[in-house]
Amino acid sequence: MSYAYLFKYIIIGDTGVGKSCLLLQFTDKRFQPVHDLTIGVEFGARMITIDGKQIKLQIWDTAGQEAFRSITRSYYRGAAGALLVYDITRRDTFDHLTSWLEDARQHSNSNMVIMLIGNKSDLESRREVKKEEGEAFAREHGLVFMETSAKTAANVEEAFINTAKEIYEKIQEGVFDVNNEANGIKLGPQHGPANVHPGSGNASMSQSGGCC
Amino acid sequence: MFTKFKNAVSTMVTSSWDQVAIGREADSFDPSVSQNSSGSSGKSGLDRKSKFPYSRPEFLQLGSEDEVQVAGDHQIRPIIVPRDITKLPWNSGYAEAVNAGKSAKNEDQATIYVGHLHRDNGRIVRQIDEWAGTPKDELQENMFIQSLPYYYLSVFDGHAGSGAAVVASRQLHHILHNELGRRENNPWKQSECEKPAKLVDVIDHLLPPLIKDSDLRQELHGVTSKNSKRDGGMAFWLCHEKEVDRDKLVIGALESAFWDMDQMIAEERMKYRINGGCTALVALFILGKLYISNAGDSRGIIVRSSGKAVPMSHDFTPETERNRVQKLAMANPELLGGEYTHLDFHRRPFRSDIGQRILYRDAHMTGYAYKTVTPDDLKFPVVYGEGKRSRVLATIGVTRGFGDHDLKAQNSRLHVKPFLTPEPQVLIFDVAGEAVDENDVLVLGTDGLWDVTPNEKAAEIVTKNLVHFPIDDQSRFRYRYTSAAQDLVMHSRGKAETKSWRRSDGSAATIDDITAFVIPMSVYKSEYLQWQRDDEALREFFTAWKDDVVKRVTAKRSSGEQGQRLPGKTAEPKESFSARRMAETSNSHQCSTSVETLTNGVSHEEEANGIQGFDEGENRETSNLP
Repeated sequence: MSYAYLFKYIIIGDTGVGKSCLLLQFTDKRFQPVHDLTIGVEFGARMITIDGKQIKLQIWDTAGQEAFRSITRSYYRGAAGALLVYDITRRDTFDHLTSWLEDARQHSNSNMVIMLIGNKSDLESRREVKKEEGEAFAREHGLVFMETSAKTAANVEEAFINTAKEIYEKIQEGVFDVNNEANGIKLGPQHGPANVHPGSGNASMSQSGGCC
Repeated sequence: MFTKFKNAVSTMVTSSWDQVAIGREADSFDPSVSQNSSGSSGKSGLDRKSKFPYSRPEFLQLGSEDEVQVAGDHQIRPIIVPRDITKLPWNSGYAEAVNAGKSAKNEDQATIYVGHLHRDNGRIVRQIDEWAGTPKDELQENMFIQSLPYYYLSVFDGHAGSGAAVVASRQLHHILHNELGRRENNPWKQSECEKPAKLVDVIDHLLPPLIKDSDLRQELHGVTSKNSKRDGGMAFWLCHEKEVDRDKLVIGALESAFWDMDQMIAEERMKYRINGGCTALVALFILGKLYISNAGDSRGIIVRSSGKAVPMSHDFTPETERNRVQKLAMANPELLGGEYTHLDFHRRPFRSDIGQRILYRDAHMTGYAYKTVTPDDLKFPVVYGEGKRSRVLATIGVTRGFGDHDLKAQNSRLHVKPFLTPEPQVLIFDVAGEAVDENDVLVLGTDGLWDVTPNEKAAEIVTKNLVHFPIDDQSRFRYRYTSAAQDLVMHSRGKAETKSWRRSDGSAATIDDITAFVIPMSVYKSEYLQWQRDDEALREFFTAWKDDVVKRVTAKRSSGEQGQRLPGKTAEPKESFSARRMAETSNSHQCSTSVETLTNGVSHEEEANGIQGFDEGENRETSNLP
């Protein structure tokens, strides 16, 4: 199956906020309550359709632990989109957003689309961060915001797809140089010379998860 | 490794060599093309299929084509660590990163293999039972199975293609263990050649039988060991007549396995597409020791818990092997085709130097002396360049490993292979004999790691990580070696700047493929010591059981049944499992009681099962005690 564009995403945020589970829910449509610590980086991929065009999302799930922070930073560059995740039941993960955002801004390309995600919305009773606070933070920093639940799958599709839509719009506006792979965007095989891996069009697109 | 070629080219372009009339065109050089187009068979290797499809190490579990591709993203160069670290023994760490675009694929490969050398002592037990006339329904089956586990971890650094490294990563461990020759659908049979077994072949030394057949016969029948020689099934005991140092046998198994691996590639490249060559570095944990077998410029070091780095291998490069290569060239001038000189000069002589005195080194020298320059001295030196830029025949930057059978010196018909060898150097670390704790680790890495991270720096990075994940941090402790491996790769890979990969201090990072293992040794030590205790217990138990049987039968005989000789068949073992195995294999040196088990598995489960089986055997035995 061929695609028009490939977008590279990165998922960042404190350890335990559900980054790996969001990825698994999106690529595999399943939830795994207990999963190992992510060390380094994991991948997932899925095809979506925007504006009638097939777009392949290649998602890089990173380690949240502070010990791996310098390695995580090295993946910002080369991503077109970032999902910055916090846990609505843990105030500290919200408090750390500024530092994550600084990292992202400093190490990524300036056009990277950042989506702020308050995860674990199914745990309403244990909520520590109000939805309004997330919205305010997003507004202040120019991010798109959503609350999701990797467990119930609420808003998970939307979070990934809306980010893709933003990137797609930026391409239409000519903001992204799609021929520079360092921007995290690759033209699909049918777009000719820009594509360097013609084989990738044949690979299985539905998922390649196993993150949790 | 491609840089090595590129460097050779660039060195040539910028040096004054072009004054020498060798006529090389640097810009037309492409190692892969040169290799395929100049194959000795005259056929292009491109139309042949690969023996094994390209993949990443099995324990990384990169299932789909997609994942393999993402792992090999030259822009991002992700540091890949195993998803499930239980796939590696003792929570060992592993990390890799692809090159920055110098070759299409990551040409490094790695393998982990947990093997068992098995000895089924059933035949001996049956002999004793038969001799004692034990009723059939009381016969014990499959008793006294001994199983010696070993651990094999290896890294291969490919060049000019991924073929040789992929083949070596899939097969060297099988050759080392070697049951391949006797299996259905095995690759050796397809190529109609059988190689003798390695570790299995010397099992009698590595895992001595519970009782020697000769001793058993003597005890049961008073037959001397000399007579037993006539018995075909006993022939292998001959190898016991002179005890050989076990280290020598493990080293020999590694050396012959390396040699055979290279031979196998030589033979199979006629049938399959096996492009390029590779270095090989193997860590083998067996019998309480660590054997590091190295052919090439990958490197193994031990980082002691004190933080000290102890080298466990020696880099084999044109520079370090200058003497060997020069001697070969001197003894076989035809290998130089009149294009190269075996001499080495302090600086390359020009035409204008003819008749002048110049500093040179011959094959038998390490220092320099003067000679008068002749026109022959203007030829290109067989070894040229320094350090990472040193080359043999101006082509290859590594002198040991597998493959490269079709590699020609650039723009020449000269073969490079005669100057290369698969011979490893094997160094030993006595894990059981040394004081080791959880902070004593073995680090294996390809040259991509070591080019920018010297031994002492690597030791510092590892130690820092181990401190960061202390033993009392229960949830994170098991990730400490993975984290250390990841940091090692990170240090050599650095970060992508606008145009290049840089380390945090601003210096250049490597653009090569990088692979690192961080392997703790203390768990192996305790596993081995436990195994040793179990094996001793088994031997004691066997002896007690046997002595008891002998005592009973002897007592029975002397109390009046003297005339009744035991059936003759006990003296000649009837066609048993081991005898059948002998018949199956054409290899008369094959020790008959050895069996290979456990092949593909690297998981602890399988390993545990192997040991469990052994324990069960012992327990059952206990319940059968008279």
